[in-house]
Parts: sequence; C-alpha cells; structure tokens
Amino acid sequence: MENKLWWKLLCVPILLYVIIVGLSVPLSPGITSMSQYTAYTGQTFTVSVATYNTFHTKAKEVKARLRKDTSLFIAAQNVKVIDDNNIEVTFSIPTFLPSSKKQERFSLDVDNDFDGYGTLPGKFIIKQNNIDSIVGAKVWKNTNFGNLNKRGTNFPFRGLLFETIRNTFFHVPLWFGMLFLFLGATWNSFMYLRTQDQDRDRRAEVMTMVGLVFGLLGIVTGMLWAKATWGTYWTWKEIKLNMTAIALLIYFAYFVLRNAFDDLEKRARIAAVYNMFAFVAALILINVIPRMTDSLHPGSGGNPAFGSEDMDNTLRMVFYPAIIGWTLLGFWIATIYYRALNIEEKYLERED
Amino acid sequence: MNTIQEIWFLFRKELTLEFRQKYAISGILLYVFSTIFVVYTSTFDADPKQWNILFWIIVLFASVNTATKSFVQESGSSQLYYYSLVNPVAIIISKMLYNTLLLLVLNFLAYGVFSLVLGSPVRDFQLFFIAIFLASLGFSITFTFISAISSKADNSASLMAILGFPIVIPIVMELVKVSQNALPGSFDSAINEDIMILLAIDLLLGGAALMLFPFLWRD
Repeated sequence: MENKLWWKLLCVPILLYVIIVGLSVPLSPGITSMSQYTAYTGQTFTVSVATYNTFHTKAKEVKARLRKDTSLFIAAQNVKVIDDNNIEVTFSIPTFLPSSKKQERFSLDVDNDFDGYGTLPGKFIIKQNNIDSIVGAKVWKNTNFGNLNKRGTNFPFRGLLFETIRNTFFHVPLWFGMLFLFLGATWNSFMYLRTQDQDRDRRAEVMTMVGLVFGLLGIVTGMLWAKATWGTYWTWKEIKLNMTAIALLIYFAYFVLRNAFDDLEKRARIAAVYNMFAFVAALILINVIPRMTDSLHPGSGGNPAFGSEDMDNTLRMVFYPAIIGWTLLGFWIATIYYRALNIEEKYLERED
Repeated sequence: MNTIQEIWFLFRKELTLEFRQKYAISGILLYVFSTIFVVYTSTFDADPKQWNILFWIIVLFASVNTATKSFVQESGSSQLYYYSLVNPVAIIISKMLYNTLLLLVLNFLAYGVFSLVLGSPVRDFQLFFIAIFLASLGFSITFTFISAISSKADNSASLMAILGFPIVIPIVMELVKVSQNALPGSFDSAINEDIMILLAIDLLLGGAALMLFPFLWRD
C-alpha cells in the first residue's frame, strides 16, 4: 500500500484543487456596514450602505429591502448607486408595526442582477413610538420586490470572517490529518506490541512526528485566524487552544521518552505503550473537554463539530477534499521520512 | 489463585510494607504540611476561588510524589519475583488501589490541615468529598501507570513530571470545576454531568493502563 503510487498521485490534484478553488472562488455579496442601525416608525430616511464584493455599477437595477423573517417586508423607495461598493437607500417606515413589542429587529437585503443578493441579518432595529398591534396589522402593507436574483458559485459571506473563511480548507483539515496520523501511529504501536517488529516502531515514530508537525501547523493557522477575527493570537479563555496545546505537549513527551532509552528493544516497547496511552489522553483533551465549556469556535458550547449554520454546500465541495488531500500528504511525508531513517541506519551500519 | 485473590494479597503486601517502613506516608505528610505552611505564611486571606486552586495544586504535587514511589521503591529482583508469581494485571490493579487509598487518606488530611490554617469555605461537603474521591482515583490511575513507564528509565523523577502532567490536566480541570461548585459563589446545575465526565475520564485512562501494562513490565 505505502509503496503504491496511486494515492500519492491522487493527493497532488486534490491539493491543487483545494488550493486553487479554495482561494479563487469569490465570496458571495455581503453588507459590511450601514450609516445607521435604528429608525422609528413613520420615518422616511436615507441610509448609506457599504457592501462587499459587489459591482453595483455593472448591474441594471439595484434593489434593497428590510425584512423580518419571511413575514414583514419594506422595500426601498429609492436606491442610489454611488460606486461598486456603496449605495444610498431610502426607506419609508409605516406608522405602526403589526407587533406589540417596542422594537423589532430587521434584516437588510441588497439585491442586484449582476451579483445576486447579500444580507445583513437582524442588525437593523425599528422602534415604535406608540404600540398598537391591531392598528398596526391594519395599517401594515408589505411592500416587496419579486424574487431575489440568483448568486453564482461562491463561498458564504460572514461578518467578522470575510475572506478568512478560506482558512477552513487549511486550519480544520490539518487537525483531521493530525488525528489520522496519530491514529496510524497508535495502530503501528499496537502492531509493534504484537509482533515485536522494529519496523513497526519506526512507522509509529514517523507518523507521530508528522502528526506533531501537522498539529503545530494547525495551531499556527489557527493563531493567524484568531488574530484576524478575534483580534489576538492567543487567548487563555479559549479552551480549544489550550487543550490542543497540551495534547501536543503529550506527544512532545513521547520523543523525550524515546531519548531516555538506549536499548532499541526497550525503547520501542515503552514508546509503543506510551503512544497508545497518549492517544487516549489526547482524544479526551481534544474531543471531550472542549465540549464541556463555552468556546469561541464555531458551534461552541456543546458541539465543536460543523453544523449547517457554519458550512454550506460550496464550502463542503472544497472542505471534504481538503481533509482527504492533507491526510494523504501527511502519510506521504511520513513514508518519505521513514525511508530516510532506514537509509540513515544502513549508512551508519556501513560506517561501523 | 485467581486474579481477585492475587490483587487482595498484593494490596495487603503494599499496606504491610507501608506500615513497617512508614516511609512514603510520613515523607508525603511532611511535604503537605510544609507546603501548606508556605501557603499560609504568604496568603492570609484567600477567597474561595484561590483557596480551591491552591488546594488542588498542593494535592496534585503530593499525589505525584506519592505515586512516583510505587515502582521505584522495590528492587528489580523482587519485582521480577512478583511477576513470575502473579498476573501483571493484578500487580497494577493492586498498586492503583493502594495508591487510591493512600491518596484518599492524604487528601483528606491535606483538606483538614488546609481548613485548619486557611479556613474552609466548603459549602456542599458531599460534592467536595466526591471531588476528593474522584481526584484520588484519577491521580492514582494516571500516576501509577506513568510511574510504571518512567521507572524503566534512569532519570525517572523528571520523566514522571514530563509525562504525567500533560495527561493529568483534563482531570485537574474537571476537578477544579466540580469542587468550585461546592464552594460559595458559583452554582452550576449541570454539575452531575461533570462528575460523570470525570468518572469516565478516570475509567478510560484506567482501562487503557490495564490493557497496556502487561506489555510494559517485562524487562
């Protein structure tokens, strides 16, 4: 299996696909900011809206609306295009909302025929001067514009993340790759204990080494991502960062342990035992503890996995190949390192 | 002789040795008392959160020192003698049980001395004693197994710390969380879940240790 060429050849186009598609597919149109986020009932006002990744000047018509869920709509009276990424929208709010609450949150949709639509969910607040839901229901008239224009193939636009959403194809699959490599090392350690074959020990060693490198890369990509989104490279309040750092320490200790023995057989045996124990401990650290506490990571507070909120189908089209590609690359590096160690050993034997 | 009998005999052997030498327990007690005294001289007034952390740090280090002795205390030849007589699983289980008992005594003593000099903010004693029991179990399982690994190397004391501390961190974190709930100032209704998680971690590491030890002992 490991000397076969096909999976190494498979890994190259997959990673090329991941890098090219992952970095070149544009983000969907989005709304970055508005000049005001509140308005009162009965008001007519003009708000300037900054959009991202849009080409309003190339579009035939730019439309905008305020929307509460899928029930209440207020279409813009007038949309003035300033440039590709800036528009001025005039809304006229009815005198009452069909609601008994003092204020309601609305989403802003901006739509044009060139880019498709973008949404700023739930940020805009309309306040009622007088509350009368019965009159509101009578007065209210939904003003809407037909269907939204379709978007091309693009990654979702998320406030805060912006273009860094592409890190999903590097940061997350590197962790998956690390886990698979550690799993491979555990399997080889297990096989060593059954067969006492030194070759198995070497495989476990190289897989652990490459897994560790992947883990470090996962931390580095995560730190860059954290700097861009949370504003800091490292935070002690974030459980996942600290737990994975400790999990990597466990595997660093594996190499310290290896160096503590001179006898090859003894080293291999004890390293194998520790490696299997470390995998159990690392699984607890990475997969159990972070579920117990709040986290800044997506899907935090109970479920660190990717839910439908965080992923969409376009992302998945690149994300799943990325997991396969990085994992295969990891095993490929491991086999090269393994052969290098074998050559080194033979060379040293000839020297003696 | 079946395994349960073996475990019982080995466990009694450990106890007898301890009562004859009084070496481990007295050394550790001295350690605990002096550490608590150091804490006392520098911290006169600890709020419940600091009290909790200080207590677990002292317990953690006392546990490491206790468990380190489990495999280096006896000479290699007498260990070889045991291994030729009994099942290796019985050896590790008996050591773990003995260490659990020792740590339980030690931790309760530490708690007693600690509350004597620093006062005891504990509100929910049942929860706090559950935490102490689970701490003894978890530390005993982890450190007994790690000491079995590190005793194979020459410089076992430093290896013990390098290998042991990262592995024990999840247990310490859950312990701090559970015992924090036994102190005034915080209440988490889902604390039973944390107790189950702690127990699950203990059992998971214990299971792994039991499966791996038979490969470890042979020299």
